[in-house]
Amino acid sequence: MSKKVLHHPETPENEAATSVWRSLREREDTIKFRHQSIREFYDAEDTMTEDERELSRRNFVKLMGASTALAGLGMAACRRPESYILPYADAPEWIVPGRPLYYATNMPAANGAVPLVVTSYESRPTKLAPNNTHPDKQGTDAQVQASILNLYSPSRSKSFLKDGGEVDAGEFEKFFSTFVKSAGKLGVVFGADESPTRNRLAREIQKKFPEVKFYSYEALENDVANKAVADAFGEKRVKLTPDFKKAECILSLDSDCLELDAKSSVLEFAKKRQGGSDGYDKELEKNKMNRLYQVESIFSLTGGMADHRLRIAPSQVSKVAVAIAKEIQSLAGNPKLAQALNGLTATFSGEEDYINDWAKACAKDLVGKKGKALVLVGTQQPSELHLLGLAMNEALGALGSTLNPYAASGQAYGTINDLKADVDAGGVENLLLLTPSNPIFDAAADADFDAILDKVGISIHFGERTDKTAYSCSWHIPATHYLESWGDALTANGFYSIVQPLILPLYPDTFSEIDVLTAIATGNYMSAPTATEPSEAHNEVKTTFTKQFSRQANDWNALLKNGYTKVRGYNKATLASIGSTSKLKSFYEQAPTNESLEVILAKDYSIGDGRYIDNAWLQEAPDPIIKLTWDNAAIVSPKTAKDLGVYDEIVQLETWNAARPAIGEAGGARAPMAKISVGDTSVKVPVIIGFGQADNTITLPVGYGQAADDGRESANRFIKGRPAVGDVGLNTGFNVYPLRKSSSEFLLKGAKVEKTKDKYKVASTQEHHAMYGRALAREVSTMDSPSKGDFAHQLENVSKQGMDSHIPKNIPLYKARDTNQEDLISDKKHQWAMTIDLNTCTGCNACLIACQAENNIPVVGKDQVALGREMHWIRMDRYYASQEHEYDSHGHIKKDEKTPAWVQDNPAVVPQPVACTQCESAPCETVCPVNATVHTEEGLNAMAYNRCIGTRYCANNCPFKARRFNFFDYNKRNPLMEKNLYRGPLGEKKVGSPEHLQRNPNVTVRMRGVMEKCTYCVQSLELAKIKQKQITKKKAEAAGGSINVELTAKDLMIPINGVKVACQEACPSDSIAFGNLLRNGENGIGKDTVVKAKESKRNYELLKYIGTFSRTTYLARVKNPNPEMPDAKYIGLATINIH
Amino acid sequence: MANFFPRWTNYTPLKLAICAGIAGVGLVAAFTYYATPKAQRVGYMPSQPIPYNHELHVQQLGLDCRYCHSFVESSGHANVPSANTCWNCHQHVKTDSPKLEPLRKAIDKNYENYDGKPIEWVRVHSAPDYAYFNHSAHVNRGVSCESCHGDVHEMEEVYHAESLSMGFCLDCHRNPEKHVRPLEEVYNLDYDAEEYLEENKEVADVVNAFIAENDELKRKRLSSQEKLGHYLVDHWNVQPKESCSTCHR
Repeated sequence: MSKKVLHHPETPENEAATSVWRSLREREDTIKFRHQSIREFYDAEDTMTEDERELSRRNFVKLMGASTALAGLGMAACRRPESYILPYADAPEWIVPGRPLYYATNMPAANGAVPLVVTSYESRPTKLAPNNTHPDKQGTDAQVQASILNLYSPSRSKSFLKDGGEVDAGEFEKFFSTFVKSAGKLGVVFGADESPTRNRLAREIQKKFPEVKFYSYEALENDVANKAVADAFGEKRVKLTPDFKKAECILSLDSDCLELDAKSSVLEFAKKRQGGSDGYDKELEKNKMNRLYQVESIFSLTGGMADHRLRIAPSQVSKVAVAIAKEIQSLAGNPKLAQALNGLTATFSGEEDYINDWAKACAKDLVGKKGKALVLVGTQQPSELHLLGLAMNEALGALGSTLNPYAASGQAYGTINDLKADVDAGGVENLLLLTPSNPIFDAAADADFDAILDKVGISIHFGERTDKTAYSCSWHIPATHYLESWGDALTANGFYSIVQPLILPLYPDTFSEIDVLTAIATGNYMSAPTATEPSEAHNEVKTTFTKQFSRQANDWNALLKNGYTKVRGYNKATLASIGSTSKLKSFYEQAPTNESLEVILAKDYSIGDGRYIDNAWLQEAPDPIIKLTWDNAAIVSPKTAKDLGVYDEIVQLETWNAARPAIGEAGGARAPMAKISVGDTSVKVPVIIGFGQADNTITLPVGYGQAADDGRESANRFIKGRPAVGDVGLNTGFNVYPLRKSSSEFLLKGAKVEKTKDKYKVASTQEHHAMYGRALAREVSTMDSPSKGDFAHQLENVSKQGMDSHIPKNIPLYKARDTNQEDLISDKKHQWAMTIDLNTCTGCNACLIACQAENNIPVVGKDQVALGREMHWIRMDRYYASQEHEYDSHGHIKKDEKTPAWVQDNPAVVPQPVACTQCESAPCETVCPVNATVHTEEGLNAMAYNRCIGTRYCANNCPFKARRFNFFDYNKRNPLMEKNLYRGPLGEKKVGSPEHLQRNPNVTVRMRGVMEKCTYCVQSLELAKIKQKQITKKKAEAAGGSINVELTAKDLMIPINGVKVACQEACPSDSIAFGNLLRNGENGIGKDTVVKAKESKRNYELLKYIGTFSRTTYLARVKNPNPEMPDAKYIGLATINIH
Repeated sequence: MANFFPRWTNYTPLKLAICAGIAGVGLVAAFTYYATPKAQRVGYMPSQPIPYNHELHVQQLGLDCRYCHSFVESSGHANVPSANTCWNCHQHVKTDSPKLEPLRKAIDKNYENYDGKPIEWVRVHSAPDYAYFNHSAHVNRGVSCESCHGDVHEMEEVYHAESLSMGFCLDCHRNPEKHVRPLEEVYNLDYDAEEYLEENKEVADVVNAFIAENDELKRKRLSSQEKLGHYLVDHWNVQPKESCSTCHR
């Protein structure tokens, strides 16, 4: 079926110089792409899988006939089956059946615990939300949101293992009860998060068994840099926590400080981005905005937010840093910086000449904002750059102001290399692994974890997954999820925060980390908690709290209620002396070439360091930048791809058989495989194009390829009976950890690439549900622009971009009136609406996952994603935009003058979350033959799932492509088993699968053949309204009888900002505002934030010229370039016009 | 060629059509009579593990609905009481009755067959999974238990009294005045609007004055329930929604 053709207006001249694309083929504008772009779904043949082709219409009719006949014979189910109500025998306190309870807890994490509020239905946690009362305002990201699924993961570790084989709990108890009595030369490896109780127990164990040694290991922690930084402060461990509240000018050196490297509140950054407006109380002021400079090699989410982004190879980041530092030194001399810069020089020449100006202007800006400036260094960068960054921060007066150095109290734990040394020297004979990492899979070659395991006597692994390490150790203890455990943690700013269980352990043999440590400290075997008796861990945590963090009586109850105390576990550290940075020069001296490339082993946006490989939500969430799902791939820039000779191939190969005019990134999408070797190790991975990636570099996201049974080369083999991953993680991606030779190395030099003939199927969503139109996402610049005028003018013109000022007045022939001549959207109490602020949206996917958790959205699996059938109600669009032609002083395009190559090759990225926009005059409603999608009185475009017969007319008629169709029974039948979906009623069902426990009881679980989409979390809206209705009773009591009560519309309105929808709640940067349009400030009714947001000049309507009157509107993005920068005039022009 | 079909066959198609028509009408009629919720559900009276007698507890002992269905005003579910609610009284009253055996099994730790497992009450009223009925939304706005569950206070054994079909819901959502009553009377299942107005003369005056002021209503012949209902619907701003998402999500 072809797509409904919408005739879009011309692109205005002042936007036409910017070229915009979503995928490589769109950039290349191939004929195949054009062919596809006019179709609703991909070419039928290309879309169908082998199985679908087999299932012909004839077969279908045969089957249907047979089943109807059988149904007639049976007629067994005429009576309604008897069902039962099982009330509690002894009702627990607080639980009201049908109403959720909310508990505060924290998720431990290496970058600081994440404060959470957990929704729990009858003691069943279903959803996570950030704890907004916490002073750290940490927010949640996609991985935090998805972590609840780990609790219900079907592949969770449930029983003890001995030498990789299951044993019952008694056998382990026998072993462990004696083991804890004589721990001897035990090495204990912790994760990198901070837990005061763990630290205290470690001290107690140390006292009892002086030979026990402690280590800390997580795969992507830069131990060497951490040590160098701690030494500079003269402390054992130091945490550097940025304070974005104070930072006005930020230089990020390869640090994804808003997502993967986020060590503090993204919300504070976002607030600073709003130019002095708080909750849209006034218009954004340009001189109150912060400014972000980003120097990076891979496109990160932070890079997408940056005002100035410099695209450069990872080793050259240091060179840029030196150039900037030199400039800072000359403007604001500082002895520590002088010392750090000793012997370092950096000048750029040739094509890179512009970087000199870039560095100069950036340094000047930083120095101008002294005391409010901040320099951040990426985790993966070498320790010397971290030290240089410290010196720059010192010179800029950042330490103690925008960057808080905290000394972590307690002992210093060794690194994995220390562990190796101790094992080799005989100081450690037994091993206890409590780290969430998977060292046998992810430890660097120099740590040689295989050898460590060989040498130690008894090795005990503790974890939630039976990963490779679990099978390699002599024992494995199944771990409880953090929502089942007692524990504690420190947040980024050191606030003591509690980890409290929401539910008894789902599996009786699981224990928490504190349980295990307590057993060693006390010499008694772990006790499992019961309904009335908490585990030992509870008592230990309480002891830690009362001894170290309690300040007054009853604190404990307050701690349980709030989830935190304001007492901190960190002390302020002061900078002593900065170590030598002289090695930095040799690091950046040699820039990469196309013969000797640089490889970046990057943390993955989906699965982190590999620990989330069995999390289906994260696997299916498209990578925020490259939009790949279910896999990792080598990301190279277009130029490097051309150098390597794979570019044309990739363009060709985006279809499974390039000779045919097949289309789409559909089921046939393939990527060519290449062999990437560093030294004597090589991996064979698919190659895909990443725009904005530095030339001559390759990004390899880590963590994938933990087990595969399809014979792929660069992945661990899947062993039946010892499954290192579940259904979800099987056959996903490629293991690139073997390239890592040293624990301190994440950036590898001298890589060589060899083309191979193999292809690999990839599922990328960048062309799926593609919208077309003018000025979809809008951007303005605080700087005067010849084409767009000054900032005030640009603000005025936001709503006119993309020819919106030329829309003829909309005079509908059809009047939206009912038979009584009343407005169809008639409710006088609530009219729902939303705004999404592109100025603060980083594109992090937190909303997408939160929506999935709240609305019971199924996972469909890689093959179905490849066919464009992913079910996410929120689609995170990501556009690339770069200016191709210069403007003259009158704002006309100079057709003959192209912009410099370094501008064209460094596109801007604009993320845009799109869900159903709840059109007031919705095109989907008019085409539904069964009235399954209709409008409510409150302006929602509602879905009655039980009415839908699956014609899909509505999806075809939706200009926003916001509707999703259940092609299969994804909820009931496991889509991750091969061909399972095509077996119809014979397919494997997910009966009793634990992930069903996560479902939200207030939302229908949709089945096959049903269209679904966002309805603004209507279940939450209805509940909020119903709660407000209880006012009738309250007023009746006050008025002395309900007969005397008089209620106005205002009384029945839910309070100001009284309801939060799931995506809004999850958004770490508060980009989504939602509320009631009738709370408009008139007649003493307060104003909802969404009303204020809609009054902003930045507010605009998506596809306004189609005349659908969307309830969701967007706020334009504002870029705040520094006029002195060489790229300033190209910034802030990324208005997205798609043809 | 001779006429293949004899003459009388000319009317066969017509006869067939008439028969098919009658059969069709019959089928529809039979379906509406036998297969709709009204026929399928009304009167459903399964036997319960404990033959709990509402008539005895409400009429003779004077229990309020909310003693057992305690969360009906604050939650969407009107909970069936947990065993300890029953045990509050029955640990003193009729404890040894054989009828109460399932209760003692669930809650009485001194009972020999005690297993602590919940009592399996058979569900009488059941909304489909895709319909999200909320009790608190109704009882807090003057809709009585009786409107949907019938005269439960007179039932010795609970049965399905109303059809509870979508049409049943919509009837009330379209004409709420037929059911809305003062909040104080929601759990009074013997309530009668006429008696109420007779007992509360001043209320009757206010209601009558309200009806007299309303041009549309004063021309209609209204029952006492409708008069009072109109008054309350207007004063409480009751506007039941008819759009799908009110009940279906």
